[in-house]
Amino acid sequence: MWLPVLGLLLGLLLGFMSDIRVPPEYSNYLSIAVLAALDTLFGGIRAHLQGSFEDKVFITGFFFNILLAAGLAYLGVHLGIDLYLAAIFAFGVRLFNNIAVIRRLIISKWSDSRKKA
Amino acid sequence: MKERQFMFATIALIIGGMLAIQFETTNNPIVRDTRDLWELRADLEKEKQRQQELNEELERYSELLDQYQTEGKDEKIQAMEKALADLKKQAGLTTVSGQGIVITIEPFNNELIGVDRPLPTIDPDMMRRLVNELNRYDAKEISIDDQRIVSKTPIREVNGNIYINNEPVSSFPIEIRVLAKNNEKLHQKIIASPAVEEFVRENFLVESTPSAKVILPAFDKDMKVKFMKPAKEET
Repeated sequence: MWLPVLGLLLGLLLGFMSDIRVPPEYSNYLSIAVLAALDTLFGGIRAHLQGSFEDKVFITGFFFNILLAAGLAYLGVHLGIDLYLAAIFAFGVRLFNNIAVIRRLIISKWSDSRKKA
Repeated sequence: MKERQFMFATIALIIGGMLAIQFETTNNPIVRDTRDLWELRADLEKEKQRQQELNEELERYSELLDQYQTEGKDEKIQAMEKALADLKKQAGLTTVSGQGIVITIEPFNNELIGVDRPLPTIDPDMMRRLVNELNRYDAKEISIDDQRIVSKTPIREVNGNIYINNEPVSSFPIEIRVLAKNNEKLHQKIIASPAVEEFVRENFLVESTPSAKVILPAFDKDMKVKFMKPAKEET
């Protein structure tokens, strides 16, 4: 349980320490990639709680979603359509859904364990 | 199970890194250097000059420090008094004289501006600009109409009159006395300066004459010090 949190903190620390900055014209892609990654992470947590977690799906989903989102944004820039909004919308909705499901699962687990006790 | 934890941790690590980079990017974006060759050269020149100035300052202070350290108590007081006198001179609290230039400003005569025209008035902005330009050409000390220009001198307009150090400038011709590092250069430059052109545009005749001896009066008002505090002695 604590290992992923530790990983997140370590990642944040590394990111802040390394002082890497993205040129402003690419920061859009990075933000959308972050959103995609968060979506995958929460999707993974949800699948884990529901017992339907699969390694391959999770890993491929992570990279594929990031690439797809960035690719969509890239295509949007070249077509003159704000396609990245589509990705933001899709990932945003899924993020909320996933978090809602995770919350319900945790609440039901918690009330189950209380009933048993 | 353990494997899964590691997988989550790795993904979380990547996300953390991405988040941190994105955060850094949005908070302090990369500012591109768009200076061209000439701007870079000018900046380099400026920095070099600054370095030289700082070195000179450092040298001066270390000399002063040496003086303080090596000399006895009386000499210490003497050195302090000398420093105080120097500072007073720098602040414009003493009368100074020397080789300098005298700039006179007066309205053009009637033939040039027409008989019935009212006398032109000096705008304080014009005067300020002239003072700035004099300073730019390395003027050391300036006085306008016997009012010494110090760092806190106000130049204002009150009811159509121009006031310097809260004293009205009496009448034309207005005399500006300047001591400079290089009087000849200042004389040449100020005649062709944009500030003087501005005066000419407003129907003033500006003349500059080098003079063997000009006397600049001391700043005789109270110098109000608002933000400085005495430094605490080191123990």
